[in-house]
Order: sequence, then structure tokens, then C-alpha cells
Amino acid sequence: MITRPSPPQESDFTSRLRSPAVAARVGTWLGVCFGIAFVTGLISHYAQNHSQPIPFPTSPSWGYRLTQGLHIVTGTASIPLLLVKLWTVFPKLFARPPRGMRKLAIEGLERASIGVLVAAAIFQLASGLLNTAQWYPWSYSFRTTHYAMGWIAIGALVVHIAVKLPIIRGVWTNDVDDTTYDRPEATAPGAVSRRGLLRTTWVATGVAVIATAGSTVPWLRSISFFSVRDGEGPQGVPINKTAAAARITEDMVGADYRLTMVNGETQSSLTLDDLRAMTQRTESLPIACVEGWSAGATWSGVRLRDLLDLVGAPPDSEVVVTSLQPSGPYRATLLQGNFSDDDRTLIATRLNGEVLVPDHGYPCRLIAPNRPGVLQTKWVTRIEVST
Amino acid sequence: MRARLAIGALGVLLGLFGARTLWTRQDTDQLTNAGLWLVGGVVLHDLVLAPVVLLLVVVVARLLPTAYRAPAVVALVVLGTLTIVAVPMLSGQGVRPDNPTLLPRDYRTTWLVLVAVVVVLVVVAGLLRSRRSSVEHTEETG
Repeated sequence: MITRPSPPQESDFTSRLRSPAVAARVGTWLGVCFGIAFVTGLISHYAQNHSQPIPFPTSPSWGYRLTQGLHIVTGTASIPLLLVKLWTVFPKLFARPPRGMRKLAIEGLERASIGVLVAAAIFQLASGLLNTAQWYPWSYSFRTTHYAMGWIAIGALVVHIAVKLPIIRGVWTNDVDDTTYDRPEATAPGAVSRRGLLRTTWVATGVAVIATAGSTVPWLRSISFFSVRDGEGPQGVPINKTAAAARITEDMVGADYRLTMVNGETQSSLTLDDLRAMTQRTESLPIACVEGWSAGATWSGVRLRDLLDLVGAPPDSEVVVTSLQPSGPYRATLLQGNFSDDDRTLIATRLNGEVLVPDHGYPCRLIAPNRPGVLQTKWVTRIEVST
Repeated sequence: MRARLAIGALGVLLGLFGARTLWTRQDTDQLTNAGLWLVGGVVLHDLVLAPVVLLLVVVVARLLPTAYRAPAVVALVVLGTLTIVAVPMLSGQGVRPDNPTLLPRDYRTTWLVLVAVVVVLVVVAGLLRSRRSSVEHTEETG
């Protein structure tokens, strides 16, 4: 007799581990992680917006370090959670469509929403993960797409929760071994119990977090074997973009270097020595990148407000800070009025007690509290009051 | 029911806002590429990862003695998910010669050591479990 290979059916999956009692428990924590990643993602997106109807706060200085660290940590934690969640519900993929137009339409819609949810969730976790390692094998705009897909994922998740709410509530009020919501054929014991699978999932999630979070949590550095940063770097701080990558040459930062402040017709140009002759301030401020790594550091230099006073910039001035780098999306960045007025915002010439190395932005760089790292412009040459 | 319908409608609105944002802020080539990645992730999970896991579980169930199965499953979940999280680091694709502060660790060696440690742990756990069950068995029959 010849049996033709046929696609599996829902009833072929008999493990009692593939149960809503497991799926809803893992799913709840996955939902919590997605919620935190969504909110912290919105914060990060807003912090990078030019137009901020509600000014992004300058305090606490470690706020962005915390929210973006949480964004990456919850995103990483979501990977084991999502994989286990998908495993527990995998048989559903092969469920037969119901009879009757009405039922078919309703289930079709629900399946479509789950399709969107799964696709968007995998997309977000994969693109975010690759971004932490600065691996960009795509041609779409990461910031726009990751932001838009975040709304799609959270929308589909909210729909999913609305659909499953009675089951979620039922599962949480019952014991994990309860079979109320199980498929009738899901009775075969697994290699581990349901409790065992759940504990394994929590361990896997914890291991994934600990193995990567050293990029942003200093006391995890020594055991964070897969972190993309180890906290080391010239002058004790890692680097995102080197002077070579930004095409900064030696003659750009030589004797001809000038830092120019502009306010309409008023201009003031300073040499590096002029800058060093001004009142020097020292601030402890973290540098926290969108990719999720961060480091605390002590910066010294001139208060930005002192420089703006040289050209008579009014209080609450928005300023454009321009780098020597010839190109790149972050060559010029906009600094909102509350940031340019903040006493802690520096044009720094020193880092952790030493003159900035070229990769940290020599001759001088912007460092402001509570600001995404990509906007902490290096190799600053021009500071212009925006009109 | 009414509350659930309201929540569902909110979800649809959030998703539509995302779809509109996605649609209006990029050119066609970028959108096609994003679409490819969107579908590609699901295909990779459903047609590659899920069947591989099914196969591994069959192998574990057929080849391993009962005492080793639970430790093997735990190892599979923890090491498997960690490996997926570590793919970008293991691939070395983000490495840039001018920036030694990015991806500074020897991820591949660490991963191999980790696999070895996990295999040892599974064997030890399996041995302990089989000894315990044989002790129980002797006590019952003896």
C-alpha cells in the first residue's frame, strides 16, 4: 500500500504541553515584555523627533539609559518567550477551517490578526536584535519601519488579547494542569511536566537576558558572554562610530580648527585654546545609545549656555549642532531649548580626565543629559541658533 | 462582550495607524524589502525552525533513555533559544575593523564551551536520574 505524504493535522499533535494553560501563562509575560518594549520604544522615537510639542525632559540624566536599556532587555527576553509560545500553539496552524460562512468569516479574521501579530512580532525581535549588533542586511529604513511595525504589533496584540480574554482569565484562575481548554487529543505526557516547561522557559528567558544585558548593566559585564559591548573602550567608554568611519581627517582638527557660534548676524569663532581658556565644568553623564548599550562617564568642557551667551542667544534657544563629518544622517542635530539651557549640557573636550581621543569626538563633542547617543554630536564645529 | 469589542476595535485602530505610518514614509523599494522580511520571518519559523524542533524532539524521544529525556529537553530550550539570541554575535557580521569596542568578545569559543558544559550537565543529570530510578526499582522489588 502506498501512502502519500500529507500535511500534518491539528490532531497529530498530542503532547499535553501544547495547551492554552501553558500558552496563556507564557503569553502573559510575553505581553508584558511587548508592552514595556512598545512604551520605551515610543519614548526613544520621541526623544529623536525634531518637533517636540511637549519638551523631552532633561532629567533624570539617566532616564534614556534606563528606558532604552529596558527596551533592549524586554525585547531580548521576548525571544525565548515567543519561541516557546509559538511551540505551544503550533498545532493551530493546521486546524481545519470551520463549516458555515459566518464561522468561516470570523475565524478567518481571527487567523488574519494572528498572522499579522506573529509576522510583526518576529520582525520586531529579529530587526531589533540585529540592530544591537549593528548588522543591517536590509534596505528599509530601520527607524521608520521598526517604529511603524511596533504599532502594528501592539495593535494585533490588543486584538489577540480581546479575542482570548475569557481563556486567559480561565487559565489564570485554574491550575496549570487543568485541561478545560485543551484539545481533546492533547493528552500524551511530555518529557517534562507543564510546570517543568514553564520553569525551563523562565530560566531560558533569564539566561538570554543575563547573557546580553552586560552592554548596559555594568555589574553583569563579567558574566554577559554574548553582550555586544563589554564596557571597555578608549578612555573607558565604548565607541559607536569611529573618526575613520566618519571620515574625519587630521587637517580638519589641526591648527585651522574653529568652533563657530552663530546667532543670526552675530558670529563668534573660537580655537581649541580659546575653548580651553573659558570656565571649565565637569559633569557625570551617561552615554546611552539606541542600540541599547550605555556607559557612565565624567566629561569636562565648556557649558553650552556659556558659548551661546557669546553670541547673545536668547533663553530657550533651539540650536543646530553640526559635526565636521562630511556626511551621515546625524551630521547635524537639533538641540531643543530646554537642553541648550541645561547647566549640565557641555561642549566637552575631556573624557574621564583625559583629552578626548579622535574616536570620542576630538576636538570637542556635545554631551547633554537624558539624550539618545546618536544625538550627542561628535567633532562639533558649528553651533547655530535655529530661527 | 462589549468591553472586548471595544478593546478589539482599539487594537485595529493602533494597527491601522502603524500600517499607515509604514506605508507613507518610505519608497516602494524599501516597502518591498520590509515586506520580504515580514514574510521571511514567518516562513523561517514555520517551515524551518518548527520542523527542525519537531525532528529534534523525535530524535530525543527515540534515541535517549527515559532518564535523559527531561534534561535534554531543558537543555534544548535553554541552549536553543540562547543560540538564536546570539546569532548576530556568532555571525560576526557587525564586526568593523576600525572599531574594536563593537562585538569585542570571542563569541564562538564561548558558545562551543557552553555547548560542552550543557552536554556534560545533561549526562550527569541523566546518570543521577537513572541511578535514582533503579534504586527505587530495587527497593520496590527487593
